[in-house]
Amino acid sequence: MEQEAVTALVADQEEVALLGEGILHHFEEILHQDPLIDEVGFLHPTQFQSLEHSQTGYWTSEAPECPRRYLWCKDHKLAISMEILPKLYRAARHAYSNSAAAKDGPLMEIDLMRHSKALLILCPDMLTAWNSRKMVLSVNYDFTKLKDELQLCALILSYSPINESTGSHRRWVIKKVSEHNQDVSELIERESVLVKEIAEMNYRAWRHRCWLIPYMTREQVLNELKKSTRWNELHVADNCCFHYRRSLLLALLDSCHVEDTEDSLDRKSEVHLMWKEELTWNEMLIKRYQGRESLWIHRRFLSQWWVKFLLSSEETECAAGTSLVDLFLAQEIYLLSDCLNAPADEFGEACVQTELAALYILWISKQVPAVKLKLEKRLHSVGSLEDVLARACPLLKAEQGHALQHTYRVTDETTTYDRCDAPLNLLILIKGLFGTPTAAAAAAYSVGHCLCRLRRP
Amino acid sequence: MGDGGELAAEKHVRYIVTVEKRKDSFESLVMEHIRLNGAYWGLTTLDLLHKLRAVEADEVIEWIMSCYHPESGGFGGNVGHDAHVLYTLSAVQVLCLFDRLDALDVDKVADYIAGLQNEDGSFSGDIWGEVDTRFSYIAICTLSLLHRLEKINVQKAVDYIVSCKNLDGGFGAMPGGESHAGQIFCCVGALAITGSLHHIDRDLLGWWLCERQCKEGGLNGRPEKLADVCYSWWVLSSLIMIDRVHWIDKDKLAKFILNCQDKENGGISDRPDNAVDIYHTYFGVAGLSLMEYPGVKPMDPAYALPLDVVNRIFLRKEH
Repeated sequence: MEQEAVTALVADQEEVALLGEGILHHFEEILHQDPLIDEVGFLHPTQFQSLEHSQTGYWTSEAPECPRRYLWCKDHKLAISMEILPKLYRAARHAYSNSAAAKDGPLMEIDLMRHSKALLILCPDMLTAWNSRKMVLSVNYDFTKLKDELQLCALILSYSPINESTGSHRRWVIKKVSEHNQDVSELIERESVLVKEIAEMNYRAWRHRCWLIPYMTREQVLNELKKSTRWNELHVADNCCFHYRRSLLLALLDSCHVEDTEDSLDRKSEVHLMWKEELTWNEMLIKRYQGRESLWIHRRFLSQWWVKFLLSSEETECAAGTSLVDLFLAQEIYLLSDCLNAPADEFGEACVQTELAALYILWISKQVPAVKLKLEKRLHSVGSLEDVLARACPLLKAEQGHALQHTYRVTDETTTYDRCDAPLNLLILIKGLFGTPTAAAAAAYSVGHCLCRLRRP
Repeated sequence: MGDGGELAAEKHVRYIVTVEKRKDSFESLVMEHIRLNGAYWGLTTLDLLHKLRAVEADEVIEWIMSCYHPESGGFGGNVGHDAHVLYTLSAVQVLCLFDRLDALDVDKVADYIAGLQNEDGSFSGDIWGEVDTRFSYIAICTLSLLHRLEKINVQKAVDYIVSCKNLDGGFGAMPGGESHAGQIFCCVGALAITGSLHHIDRDLLGWWLCERQCKEGGLNGRPEKLADVCYSWWVLSSLIMIDRVHWIDKDKLAKFILNCQDKENGGISDRPDNAVDIYHTYFGVAGLSLMEYPGVKPMDPAYALPLDVVNRIFLRKEH
């Protein structure tokens, strides 16, 4: 009796395995026949049934072995029914392992590429399968095959945009092409388009884009800056796209160091002009979209560099008339007071905006200590920094007035910020995260012990 | 949501042990390539909760060693998978948990790691050459645990990490890469282990890190993102290493983590009411450990192992 049950179970499993294999074969055929598939969807069986089945086949769609029950492909769009996924995955995994174990000969290579592709579409994390492909592609340099590889990566990234192994494989391909002195500028253009498609709040996609910058010409960098403006305006909460602009701007600064002095001067003044425009553009966005952290972080970066640049040029050039640094700081204070005076709104965005503006001023005063005094002098038109911070958080003023005064006095006395973290305690107070600074200090715990050991030689 | 209450330690232990046993489910199948990482997350959590004995040590060690590639000296994410530093560190960490580094050919493993250092001091993750500051941390942490840091050029490794520092005080995956809490942990951890923390502007980085605390108390990984339990570890450990942990609100963070527990079936999720997984269970418990939550072993912020495990390695008479 028991024996019978076991036999039945084994037969059952074999049948399942056969079904998987059959579907896998069909799946690989689809991939082979349509290399331009640009979208894959994993659909619930009920969704899947609603797809239009125009192709005719040998199978009636009710039979369990019918691939049309699980796979659909039209206009370069591929749909896979979730129902078959585990079986298909197991079959692909099995087929891949077998072909990887017997790696010799060109026929095996074809199998390996076919099965690894099927497997990776189902599970792109499979690092080892990507490596098998790299192994095969490394044997003979073939630009067409490498381009197909980029196509496969693009397909996977379209539905699995943060997949790391795929991104890494893509970088490997691009490196390979550039090592063979092939012109990569066209590839870079295409990369840029791809990344834009998958980029929304996607750290890895933007990392990929930053990684491409050193491969770009100066013209491409300038172009990227221009092209990304619109995207950024539509994605003001995405810190990544602003970081990308920062990287591009820094790359432009780097590209100013060229042999030809005249050329170098031209390039420098061009970058300075762009920097100024970036500041203006950023201010426009800050005013249009209230309370966006990414916009203010971008401003911190822009202003920090700009003030340092203005200071250094004032040092070298004889200052005539009003100092440009003073002028710039005055504008920034003006922006701050604008934010402070904005009427409250129902979403609390004006409140966040005030907080971010106050933090921004605090940031400049800390990061460019040379302007700290100037900034404080200018601030008097609005009130002291203390007032500003208190106004940025009215609740704080009422409840923490005492604590605030206490912390602020400490910051005032000190020039060595290293010892004193009061401004940041203040920051925390503003954010309403802490009860009192003493509680905060008490929260520091026995890190000494850990760090002592860490510092051991 | 509501009140997260206390840590449901026993439930979490049971959750981890059962996940380990359900390895034939489709979910575990598609995660099979990182099973070694999973083992590290699960087993470290068990140890933090004083329950490492819930698993059979010899069985674990045997399985870990079956992921070893004797030709290269590295570990794959599972049996039959290619070697990568990501899994090699996890393997070494798990062996540390069980005090079984003797199972390794230490020099062979150290040579594998050291062989991946590049001319500029950076590290590749495997023979295919992807470079990332995460791999710098992994290399330095692994070699330090194996007492073999002398096999690499530490100065160059440190210089490379410093070259990935941004104007906001944080670190990215490569020079010019955007600051990200996970990458920051790796860079700060590597600098701490090599005694190079003086390269960090603590106030500046502390500012960036404490701005990661969201209104609900949880931490996010970069600006404008939602809070996620895993950053409890990345951000908090970094803040501890640079001595600025008092800049965030511990109580609110602990409440956030406790709110992410599945109090019925065990496990912790990324944010309240989401599905639990082993990764977030580990990071949640590790975060609580860094905040000295009662009943949880203290954790070392740089080596990402329980403090007693790390002490056992470094305070034992040198080999």
